[in-house]
Amino acid sequence: MDYVAELEKDVRFQEAMNSCLNCGICCAICPAAEFYNYDPRMIVTTVQRRNNDEIEALLKSNTIWYCGQCMSCKTRCPRGNAAGMIIQALRLLSQRCGFFTESEKGRQQYGLKKTIGESILKYGYCVHPKLVKPELHPEQGVIWEWIYNNMEPLYDRVGANLYKDGAGAVRKIHQKNLDELAEIFKVTGAQDLYDSIEDGSRKKAAEMHMSIDDDNNEYLMHVLTYNSNEHQD
Amino acid sequence: MIDVLIIGGGIAGIETACSLQDMGYETIIVEKEKNIGGHLNDWDTLFPTHRSASEVLAHYTDETRKRALTIYLNTYVVSVKKQDDGTFEVHTSRDVVFRSRAVVLASGYRLFNAERKEEYGYKIYDNVITSADLELKLKHLKGEFKTPSDKIPEKIAFIHCVGSRDEKSGNHYCSKLCCVTAVKQAIHMKQLCPQAEIFCCYMDLRMYGPGFEEMYREAQEKYHIQFIRGRLSEVGENANGTLQLKVEDTLAARPCKIQVDMLVLMVGMEAEKSTELFAQSCGLKCASNRFVQPLDHHIGSNLTNVEGMFTAGTSIGPLSVFDTVNHAKAAAFAVRDYFINMAQ
Repeated sequence: MDYVAELEKDVRFQEAMNSCLNCGICCAICPAAEFYNYDPRMIVTTVQRRNNDEIEALLKSNTIWYCGQCMSCKTRCPRGNAAGMIIQALRLLSQRCGFFTESEKGRQQYGLKKTIGESILKYGYCVHPKLVKPELHPEQGVIWEWIYNNMEPLYDRVGANLYKDGAGAVRKIHQKNLDELAEIFKVTGAQDLYDSIEDGSRKKAAEMHMSIDDDNNEYLMHVLTYNSNEHQD
Repeated sequence: MIDVLIIGGGIAGIETACSLQDMGYETIIVEKEKNIGGHLNDWDTLFPTHRSASEVLAHYTDETRKRALTIYLNTYVVSVKKQDDGTFEVHTSRDVVFRSRAVVLASGYRLFNAERKEEYGYKIYDNVITSADLELKLKHLKGEFKTPSDKIPEKIAFIHCVGSRDEKSGNHYCSKLCCVTAVKQAIHMKQLCPQAEIFCCYMDLRMYGPGFEEMYREAQEKYHIQFIRGRLSEVGENANGTLQLKVEDTLAARPCKIQVDMLVLMVGMEAEKSTELFAQSCGLKCASNRFVQPLDHHIGSNLTNVEGMFTAGTSIGPLSVFDTVNHAKAAAFAVRDYFINMAQ
């Protein structure tokens, strides 16, 4: 595949990729660069070289997944580039080509798809209380675990309307609206993207000899909890 | 009717007037400030020789006096109108209307206002100053050099390209003199504060002129100035008044933080606002960098799209003193050629 040609079709790439003078201002402002062994400038210079093999390696790497999409780079670049937007185009291409499963950080796309990605279609919320399962969020501690197990009366007590018909916070979203959301996802290609993340992940799970079924999803737990600790200096 | 009206009484204007006088033409200079010499009045020393700017200024003051040049001070040009007969009518802040056969724009430049780069903290943090502030400080220095917080600096950083080569400032072009000025100032600071560690954060070092590269090398070898290839992203102030800089050392490909006692912003050059205004009044073409567009970059840089209107010095873009003086002399020849052609 001609990755450069694919990238050039993406409006975000057209907007954000002019020419890089390697001043490093994007890296200097980047919170991810401060944390990870990562330099947004390197992404821009790699893409600027327009070498297909190098871009393929980039699409398969952890590198494109370190960015937190804060877009600070966009506010600073003296040439009007935005590494963060170039990364959006690269991520999309990586998801479409199935290359995201080649890296640890890329495989986490499956975790996102299974959690907030499916939640928006199922509940109409990206983050819904029922989604924040204690076993997936040990950082929330025992208090959250208690809240989770006693959700109904607690949410009633604070005046919310937990997943029930009618008005109020965290209410149930009407099926008509959920159908509309699903239609939007279909028309815009988001559903296709979900499917390609699902397909790619299933292949990878088989390769890694892990189960990926809803009742026993080893692969999901793996991508959400595994850390090679190879991302920092 | 005078022969040539010169807008601007900086070194370009005076040099042009002197050369035109030598050729036998009558000139007047219109200067918006209360004295001649322009930016040179505010400068301490000149690169690459570290010569005193007031020495050069004195030369022009002497010439002005000796030659009895006619100069209208505190006078700014409002509009320039070309007449049907090819002469010019120049309206100024004074009541009198000047008429001349030719006009020379020696209206110079203005310095970039560093407050526009808010993330660099100029006029927000005390110890952030500009290259122009430093020149003034050095010019009037008595005793030890101290930072605005009254401290003998242990660490100083110079930031190149402030308001130059930067779309965010609206200035895509290179001001070309800030690089060598930073090297000159860094050396000067090291001489004044030998204990200080001095950094220059640059993108490219444009040491284009005679003696510039030599000076850069001296800065590294003799004065141990540290050159970091990276553009400053932002500045923060620590509780003790020192500053924290965030840059990428692009040659090491790592972001880094530097703590300094004083930060010097190398402000670039912009087209003088008044030039833009009267350019509009007479259909004078300006380039995308807002400086006056020369008619021919190579063999007619003093000519403009308006016949009879000429440029001298930095009205066409950033120039050093050296280049300004040469360009001004060339302007006098361009005017003379114009008069001779008209007479034929």
